[in-house]
Amino acid sequence: MKRYVFRRLLVAIPSLLIASLIVFSLPRLLPGDVVQLMLEEKAYGKDLDDLRAKLGLNRPMYIQYVEWLGQVARGDLGESLWTRRPVLEELARRLPISLELGVLALAFAIVIAVPIGVVAAIRQDTLADYAMRSMAILGLSVPGFWIATLCVLLPAIWWGWSPPIQFTAFSVSPWAHFAQFLLPAFILGIASAAAIMRLTRGTLLEVLRQDYVRTAWAKGLRERVVVLKHSLKNALIPVVTVLGIQVAQILGGTVIFESIFGLPGMGRFLFDAINQRDYPVIQGVNLLIVSVVVLMNLIVDAFYAFLDPRIRY
Amino acid sequence: MDQPASSLTRRDLLKLGGAALAVGATGAVTAPPAALAQTPKRGGTFRLRSHVAPVHFDPHQTIAFSTMIPLSFAYSRLVKVKGGSAVVPGTQPVESDLAESWERQGDTVYVFKLKKGVRWHNKPPVNGRELTAEDVKYTYERFLTIKGNPNKTVLGMVDKVEAPDKYTVKFTLSEPNAWFIDRLASTTTWIVARECVEQFGDLKKPESVVGTGPWMFQRYEPNVRMSFTRHPSYFVPGLPHADGVEITLSPDPAAGFAAFLSGEYDFGPEYGMVVRRSDLDVAQSRIKDLGTRDYIVLFGGYTAMKIDQEPFKDVRVRRAFGMSDNWKETLETNAWSMGKGAPNPLIPATLKDWSIPIGQLPPEGRQLYEFDPKGAKKLLADAGYPNGLKVPVETTPGYGPDWMDAVQVALRNWKLAGIEGDLKLKEYGAFVSSAIFGKFDKMMLTLRGVTTDPDSYFVPYMPGEPLNSSGVNDPKLTEMIKLQRRTFDEKKRRDIVWDIQRYVSQTVYYGYGPSVSAVGAWMPYVKNFGPNIGHDYGGRLMGAWLDK
Amino acid sequence: MQSNPVEVAPWGDRISSKSGSPSHTAAVLQHLWQFVRHKPLGALGGFIVLVLLTLALFAPWIAPYKYDETIPGGRMKAPGAQFWMGTDNLGRDVFSRVVYGASVSVTVGFGAVLLANVLAALIGVTSGYFGGAYDICVQRVVDAWQSFPFLVVILSMMAVLGPGLLNLVLALGVLGAAAGSRVVRGATISVMQNTYVEAARALGAGHLRIMLCYLLPNVAATIIILATIGLGAAILAESALSFLGFGVPPPYPSWGAMLSGSGRSFMYRAPWMAIWPGAAISLAVFGFNMLGDALRDVLDPRLRGGGGRPVS
Repeated sequence: MKRYVFRRLLVAIPSLLIASLIVFSLPRLLPGDVVQLMLEEKAYGKDLDDLRAKLGLNRPMYIQYVEWLGQVARGDLGESLWTRRPVLEELARRLPISLELGVLALAFAIVIAVPIGVVAAIRQDTLADYAMRSMAILGLSVPGFWIATLCVLLPAIWWGWSPPIQFTAFSVSPWAHFAQFLLPAFILGIASAAAIMRLTRGTLLEVLRQDYVRTAWAKGLRERVVVLKHSLKNALIPVVTVLGIQVAQILGGTVIFESIFGLPGMGRFLFDAINQRDYPVIQGVNLLIVSVVVLMNLIVDAFYAFLDPRIRY
Repeated sequence: MDQPASSLTRRDLLKLGGAALAVGATGAVTAPPAALAQTPKRGGTFRLRSHVAPVHFDPHQTIAFSTMIPLSFAYSRLVKVKGGSAVVPGTQPVESDLAESWERQGDTVYVFKLKKGVRWHNKPPVNGRELTAEDVKYTYERFLTIKGNPNKTVLGMVDKVEAPDKYTVKFTLSEPNAWFIDRLASTTTWIVARECVEQFGDLKKPESVVGTGPWMFQRYEPNVRMSFTRHPSYFVPGLPHADGVEITLSPDPAAGFAAFLSGEYDFGPEYGMVVRRSDLDVAQSRIKDLGTRDYIVLFGGYTAMKIDQEPFKDVRVRRAFGMSDNWKETLETNAWSMGKGAPNPLIPATLKDWSIPIGQLPPEGRQLYEFDPKGAKKLLADAGYPNGLKVPVETTPGYGPDWMDAVQVALRNWKLAGIEGDLKLKEYGAFVSSAIFGKFDKMMLTLRGVTTDPDSYFVPYMPGEPLNSSGVNDPKLTEMIKLQRRTFDEKKRRDIVWDIQRYVSQTVYYGYGPSVSAVGAWMPYVKNFGPNIGHDYGGRLMGAWLDK
Repeated sequence: MQSNPVEVAPWGDRISSKSGSPSHTAAVLQHLWQFVRHKPLGALGGFIVLVLLTLALFAPWIAPYKYDETIPGGRMKAPGAQFWMGTDNLGRDVFSRVVYGASVSVTVGFGAVLLANVLAALIGVTSGYFGGAYDICVQRVVDAWQSFPFLVVILSMMAVLGPGLLNLVLALGVLGAAAGSRVVRGATISVMQNTYVEAARALGAGHLRIMLCYLLPNVAATIIILATIGLGAAILAESALSFLGFGVPPPYPSWGAMLSGSGRSFMYRAPWMAIWPGAAISLAVFGFNMLGDALRDVLDPRLRGGGGRPVS
């Protein structure tokens, strides 16, 4: 077990390095000179060069890369080219918000998806199965930003009420802070629910065909006991692995909901940085997300190895 | 060399959904309401929305409106633009701010007498001391010499600034410029404190925002909100009436409008405190007695062409493009204008003191604003393109879907004249750092209209300017532009400015799209407020009050 | 070449790949009917997909107007006899635009999915087959690539490539390839356990032959399922990108652009501008997903029947 984890860690390092290279070069492939963007329309030759030198952008690429790696190793993600605030500081502020949104969304997704998946599995090919699956897939099919827009706009037009748009920090009011995530997390959760439902249904179907489940039926145990006590736990193992990946995916992909609901999260941060060619920010956020994902994969794999002694790398 | 007095970058226009098309010349401006006889009420907080978070707070390191708007509450300058409900939008009447009086001595020297007893905000490191001429001198020296100030050219004509005594400031210009005072009233020329720069290194941090304005910067929650509180020793007694200002940062327009409908903002949620005209019905049905005033916005479409190459070498081709544009349709299909707005000559129509009415243009100029595809076709045939022509057109979708709709309308109308536009789209960042500076193939479409002083609109016509995208080099025109800068008599200057616009309408070096008429909106309990162009929210709100 | 190993369908018939038998069409129809009966949701999905494809392929004949044709005096008309779905702010018929939008969505979807799956097959099959150092290296890169959240990669690629239909297809395709390749690799590895692969190798079959003739066909089922779900995802992705300003640019009418562009601006005045494209997106994605799910049930023997009490 320990050897397995160690070997997986070893494998993770080249992944991270390759990722860091991608992370570093991707933003620089973006056309458009960040310095010209910053001095938009008013720039003159000398000012451009001055600013470029000030930001350290005039040195060869590989030197910038190595320097950046060194900084990262020391825990310094650099400063935003635009605001000059440390990237790490901004991330520390925004990451919890995106995480809250993501985790809450996932919670909603699980609460919706697992029961539906269970019902769909044990009542396979019946009306209940069809109805529930249709609903879940419908939740996935309707574009999230549209639902969100309708949820925000219609109550305002009909009743003069809108969901909280101004962000409330936890320290100000824990209840209000929590409440503002409810609507966006729910809408986000609906979309993830379908994938989780599918997986739950699929794995549960598989598990229910196993011999030991047949034995349980033969013993005359009630359906609820057979399903919930004996089968579900095993069925949920692959689902858990998906969850890990889902969280990571959510981290960078919430920009639309953050915009609509006024949540200062990482998605918006990254989106703006890409548009503004703010290299250190793009690199910092990407590196963070990638590291989280690699870490998640590692944890999930270790978890798997712990549970299933047959798995060895 | 010359720069706009205040600037909204194209980046920011992106967020506005590229609304700007069309400015109507018809008296779209309603008469200002009768002078208020009510007594101002003290108290309350103005609540506004901004859709872009400020990058930082140093006015000498950015042109972004997202920075200038919050600064307009906390800073003052020598002169400002009048605010209040009596001001006609589009006019920029200058009145004194920190300067008690001023006079011009000769052509190039200006002497300002400062008000006495002006106190800085009582915040470290300035701690409420008195403002002196040294502060003014320091500010403008930093403005003109600091590296990377995109606003530098606003005061590019200033040669030196002196402070002969505690309350006197003397500016010496390197050449006469009749727009100098207007430039000083822009939203980039705030007076800043030396102590802040020395303590914080620059003025980017929110703690360094210490000014002499009506409100003090109280709290900054990044990407969430900015709060201001009343400056007890503001140098205009009795002002401001409101105790505080709160700006919420909310990027999504639908969410912003929803919040407006539920009464979370006191003013229209979009830039310029406006509400989209397509939303006006809903807003008025939800909010009884909503205060509104239409005004023509500054920004509009803008076409640059390579006039030193085929086919745009021939002025007839350039004219044909103008004649195959249907500005009315552009206005009618736009959600902000819903048909209301005005066409723009060289000086945006909203600057009504300086913009020439279309009817006063020479015949070829007037023709540009009449939709005449047949006439355009004939002109093209005369110029050697009897079968029409095909032209690559560069622009960016980054200005928003409203902009792309307008581009579609333009392309379709050109087709009627036999012009086939080959649309080449570039991503916003790539576009702004290249095409605007002249790196495009034959023709490019973009938005303009950030600055409130007319002189800045002549910049693209001056040879050697980076923004001279069409590559204009017309000595007669250059002379006229230089001449009006030297002409101090306003009436004579206007005549020259009108002549320039007439001339330019015949040479068609650039094309100008219309500007929308936007609907400024405010809650019924807000009094003495009048919307206007420009970023000076603070100036417009300092005399307003909340009656609730 | 041996006949493809067959999968057993739930109703017990063998799906034969041989053609030419006299009742061939009848057999196919019968299988279709069985599919509809046993998997009604999948059949519904299939029907929706069929309608979509018809609209996409025959758009110029189905749509009463061209997608950029302005009807004089016809701005923002509510749905009625002449304009079934109303007109938009530019005076264009929404129904025609939705129909043409099907072509755009299908192009984007199929293009992206084709590219993604070709790449996924390439990477997955070779990786699973050759194994060893090659496999490890490739998997590291795929790992690293897949760790990036979807939005970051897409935005960066679109910013690099610039706006455009083709560029969007490219970006979505490359992105989909990473995730798909893992699944394909897994399927390849499991297929390789089969003895007939060993046998083929013992008989001297070359690498390419083995990959093309033995591995690929058996992995095909996995790929098909990935593809159908991927189509839905591609359409949704395009609409999300349109919201952010990176979708399919004009003049092509894309549902995403219609929904998040002027449709959104006029949502109160002319809701039909947004409702119809929104419904189209939802229906299309729904259809693809349902079809994909049903196909998975049919093609993957482990998931058939017996979820409840055991069948005697």
